[in-house]
Amino acid sequence: MTILNTNNLTKSYGKKAALSQINMEVPRGRIIGLLGPNGSGKSTFIKLAAGLLVPSSGEIFIDGQAPGALTKAKVSYLSERSYLSDWMRVSEILVFFEDFYEDFNRIKAENMLKDLAINPDDRLKTMSKGTKEKVQLILVMSRQAELYLLDEPIGGVDPAARDYILNTIITNYKEEASVIISTHLIADIEQILDDIMFINQGELVLSSSVDEIRETHNKSVDGLFREVFKC
Amino acid sequence: MLGKLIKHETRATRRIFLPLYGALLILTIFTKLVMAIGAPDFFSEAASNNTIAEITLGISFTLYFILIVGISVMTLVMIIQRFYKNLFTDEGYLMFSLPVKTWELVLSKLLVGLLWSAVCTVMIVLTFVIFSLGTFSMMELTQAIQAAYQTFFVETGMNLNLFIAELALFLAVNTVASILMIYVAIAIGQLFSQHRVVAAFGAYIVITIVLQIIGSIFMAVFAIGNLDILILNGRSAMSTIQWLINGSTILNVVFGAAFYYVTQYIMKNRLNLE
Amino acid sequence: MKWIIDSDRPIYKQLVEQIELRIISGVYSPGDKLESVREMAMDAGVNPNTMQKALAELERMELVFAQRTSGRFITEDLKVIEEAKKKLAVQEIGAFLEKMKKLGMSRNEILALMEKIEEGDKEDDHLKH
Repeated sequence: MTILNTNNLTKSYGKKAALSQINMEVPRGRIIGLLGPNGSGKSTFIKLAAGLLVPSSGEIFIDGQAPGALTKAKVSYLSERSYLSDWMRVSEILVFFEDFYEDFNRIKAENMLKDLAINPDDRLKTMSKGTKEKVQLILVMSRQAELYLLDEPIGGVDPAARDYILNTIITNYKEEASVIISTHLIADIEQILDDIMFINQGELVLSSSVDEIRETHNKSVDGLFREVFKC
Repeated sequence: MLGKLIKHETRATRRIFLPLYGALLILTIFTKLVMAIGAPDFFSEAASNNTIAEITLGISFTLYFILIVGISVMTLVMIIQRFYKNLFTDEGYLMFSLPVKTWELVLSKLLVGLLWSAVCTVMIVLTFVIFSLGTFSMMELTQAIQAAYQTFFVETGMNLNLFIAELALFLAVNTVASILMIYVAIAIGQLFSQHRVVAAFGAYIVITIVLQIIGSIFMAVFAIGNLDILILNGRSAMSTIQWLINGSTILNVVFGAAFYYVTQYIMKNRLNLE
Repeated sequence: MKWIIDSDRPIYKQLVEQIELRIISGVYSPGDKLESVREMAMDAGVNPNTMQKALAELERMELVFAQRTSGRFITEDLKVIEEAKKKLAVQEIGAFLEKMKKLGMSRNEILALMEKIEEGDKEDDHLKH
């Protein structure tokens, strides 16, 4: 069963449509890039899949079910925002995730924290924004989910950490799971993507594999993107 | 999942309240000791000969009142803030991606809010008890209680216990409904795309006004109906009061349920985190 | 060894070429066991699916074979490797000659220049030792 599929998915705010008539399918075991200019509807799509928004019309299914408590257990969502409580220590957040997510691998998280030299006893409010983002990413990737939704995972991070993150995504790869990465930094992640979806002004403009694009257009996805969305 | 939510909600809130209640207890005990040793007649009219004690107690009691007021306010602030900040600001992105049902999120916050409200009341009563220790004997206390029950029964034909139970029920239900009213106002505020906090305040005021109107209608209707029963007789005055209390309790249950349902509905179907 | 991957061509094709090169040049000896897809993908910084596709292509080219439970191995068939080597050399020479033609060099000019450079290389080698 496809891990994610939509039928004429639409989300409007008043008269403005943030997403309109999106029809797509994500098979398992793929790493997909959700690409588009700012404000194109990428975040809206991810939030709909994460169950944080309700469709205005149309449907979205995670493993055949509408978003709800059951699908949230299968989905690991990384928000663009810092969504952890500032007063908590990292160790306390580990307990939190362990409590609510059966598929949370605490050892893995602790190892990754060590790799990135983050002290589990530190309180979040003492950390820089970049470090907080790393903590969030570690938490999300330490889950054994069926669908990972990463909203701008490498945006505010230094290049070394960026490589570490991409590496983590590769090593985390499971045949039954898929990863959707929403970003505007295409060049940095193109190498690890299987497929891409271009979204512009709420519409799905292109859905293809990276190989197909390179063969057909003789340029990278990043190159094509710049062409298609030239200002 | 509900249990886990309650556990974490308690953890998040107790770090504020436990120190406060700790401070309150210490202050109360300290004050009591100073009183007992230095100025046992503090509450009587007799002039005291221990000015240091008097001054200390003056400061102590002032602090005590400040703490009591502060804690009460803090309890209310916490109830509002935990619901708004944890669910409808950045933290909401985490909370709403948890594999829990919407009603579990609401109920967990409600129960912990109720808990701290109850603790507040209990702690205040406890401080009164501490202050009044030794000012009367168990004998005196038992006699006073017995007298109270007697008088009550004579005046109203009802057992004081029943009255106390009805009052307690009313208070509990009223607290729950009040908390839910705050929640529904916040939830309604979320329906707007901008100025959500202002909208929440507005919603709260509107609901208050509507409740007042409904309450007045009820009062008018039921008062007119019972006007002829309202004889200046202890028994009938009591039954009127009972009707009032129990009627309010029922109203609160109805409103509370409505608030809960609306809150939960908005969060489930109209969620729109910024 | 480093992986060189540019952005204009399908990644899996580039992986195929580079693994092929390693086989031909002896970095991977005949009969060697390859690491797991995941490890190779991590090493190259690419998606495991892509690496999988590359290895499948190499299997089709018979440079690599898979044994159900033990993993993937470089072929021990020296003829196949020799064939691939020849094919690659022909490609490289063809491309080289094309370029030289564009520069307007004749066959003799090219040969003379080649010998000169080889002499130079030999002298450098002597100096080094």
